[in-house]
Amino acid sequence: MKALVEHFFRHEYGQLVASLSRRVGVHELERVEDAAQTALARALEHWPAAGVPDNPAAWLFSVAHNALISDLRKDTNRRRLLEREEPPPSSNDPPTLRLAGEMQDDLLRMLFVCCDDANPIEAQLALALKTLCGFSVGEIAQRLFASEASVYKRLARARERLRARGASLDALDATPSPDRRAGVRRVLYLLFTEGYLSSHAEEAIRRELCDEAIRLAQLLAAHPVGDEPETSALVALMHLHAARLSARQDDSGGLLLLAEQDRDEWDAHRIATGLQWLAKSARGDVYSRFHAEARIAAEHCLAPSFDATRWDVIAETYGQLERIAPSPLHRLNRAIAVAEWRGPAAGLALLEGVESPTWLAGSYLWDATFADLYRRTGDAERAERFRTRALAAAPNDAVRAALERRLSSA
Amino acid sequence: MSKYLCLQRSLAGESKPRPEPPSPAQMQQMYAEFGAWQEKFRDQLVDLGGKLGDGRLVGSAADSDGPFVEVKELVGGYMIVSAETLEGAIEVAQACPGLVRPGSGVEVIEIHTPGA
Repeated sequence: MKALVEHFFRHEYGQLVASLSRRVGVHELERVEDAAQTALARALEHWPAAGVPDNPAAWLFSVAHNALISDLRKDTNRRRLLEREEPPPSSNDPPTLRLAGEMQDDLLRMLFVCCDDANPIEAQLALALKTLCGFSVGEIAQRLFASEASVYKRLARARERLRARGASLDALDATPSPDRRAGVRRVLYLLFTEGYLSSHAEEAIRRELCDEAIRLAQLLAAHPVGDEPETSALVALMHLHAARLSARQDDSGGLLLLAEQDRDEWDAHRIATGLQWLAKSARGDVYSRFHAEARIAAEHCLAPSFDATRWDVIAETYGQLERIAPSPLHRLNRAIAVAEWRGPAAGLALLEGVESPTWLAGSYLWDATFADLYRRTGDAERAERFRTRALAAAPNDAVRAALERRLSSA
Repeated sequence: MSKYLCLQRSLAGESKPRPEPPSPAQMQQMYAEFGAWQEKFRDQLVDLGGKLGDGRLVGSAADSDGPFVEVKELVGGYMIVSAETLEGAIEVAQACPGLVRPGSGVEVIEIHTPGA
C-alpha cells in the first residue's frame, strides 16, 4: 500500500473545498465541505484494496464534484442555478484537467474569503483552520484552547456571513484592496503565533500550526496579488521564529529560555530561508511591523551566543516596532533588550510610568521582567514581590519552572 | 489452511452512537493503520472484500413474498481470510482497524471448500 505524503488528507480537503467553492459559490460552503469529506471517506474505503490512483488529487476532485452535484440536484430549488453551471462530469469522463496554478489560485481565493473583516478575527481564524487546513472542530478547539461550542459558534457566524453575502470567489479578478491584503496577513500572523507562542505541551501540534501559517503565507507571497514587501517580511519572520522552535524545549518538555537554548539545535536551513525572504522584503519604501519583527528574529538567529547578541540593534528595532504598532508588550521587550545593552537600570527606566496592562495575556511576563531587573539592580525586596506575582500568574508548569530558574539565580 | 468469511455486522443491543465523522487527519491515521495491518497479514488476506451495496433476492415465485430480512441491514461488509484455525482467522479480523467498534462486530465463519 502506497504511503501518502504527510498531511495529504488535510491538505486535499482544503484544496477540494477551495476548488469546489469556486465552482458553486461559497454560499454553498456546507455542502462543499460535506462533499470533500465524502470524497476522503471514499478514498479511505477504496485505496487500500484498489491502490492509490496515479493522480489522487484528480480522483478526489472527481468524486467530490459528483457528490456535490448530486447533493445540489436533490434540492430542486437549485435547479435553475445548476442550469447555468457546467454539466457535471459523468463517472466515465476524465476528471477536469486542473492546472497547478489554478489550484493555487483557488486556495488563495478561499484564503481571502476566510479573512473577511466583517467577522471577528477569531472567526476568520477558525474558518481558515476548518476550510483551508482541514482541521475538525475538535482539533481546532484543542489547538486554540477554546471549547468546541465556541468554535462552532465562530464557524456558524462566519458561514452565516458567507451565505448572506453570497460571496463569490471572484475576489481576485479585481485586485483586493490593500486593507483586504493586510487583513489576510493579520490572520496568518495570528495563526502563526497561536502555534509559536502556544503553551501547548506537544511540540508537534504547535509546529503544525506554524507550518500551516507558513504554507498559506507563502501561497500569498507567490501570487502577484499578495507579493508585497510586507508579505515577504511576514514569511521571513515566520521562518526565523520557526527555526528556533525545537530548541525551546528540553528533552522532558520543559521550557528553555533564550539564554539556555542550544543554538546548534536551531534549524540552519530554515534560518537561511528566512534571511532570503527578509532580503526580498527590503524593497520599496515600506517598513512594516513585520519588517521590524523579522529583523529582530534575524538578529537572534545570527547571534553566536546570548551574550554576543547585538542588543543595541534589537533595542532600537523594538523602538521602531513600538512606533509602528504601539503595545506594552513591545515596550517590555525593548526594556529587556536595553537592560542587556545598557544595564538593568536603563531597562527599568523605560518601564517607569508605564501602566502594567491587566489585559495582557502574558501579564506574568511583565511581573517576571520587573523581578529580573530589580534583582539585577540589587533591589531584593521589590524583586521578591514581583517574583511571587509572576510565579502565581504563570500559565502552566513549564513556564513556572523556567521562571523559577531564571528569577532565583544569584 | 482454511478460508474464513468475515462479516462485519451490526450488534443488536449495543447502542450505536452516531460518531462524529473522522477528521481528515484521523482518516490519514486510519489509512496508515490499515496499511500496517495489511502488511502484517499480507499472506492471509485472500479477498479484502468491501461494503455491500444494493441487491435483490431471487427465488422461486412461491417463496419470494417474504418477509425477508435484508442481508444488507445485518451485514455491512465482508472479507475472506485464510488461517490454520478459527482462532487464527479471528486474530486477523480483530486486528483490522475500524472493523470492531461500538455497535458493530465481526462474525468469522469457516468456509468448507470442497476438496480442500
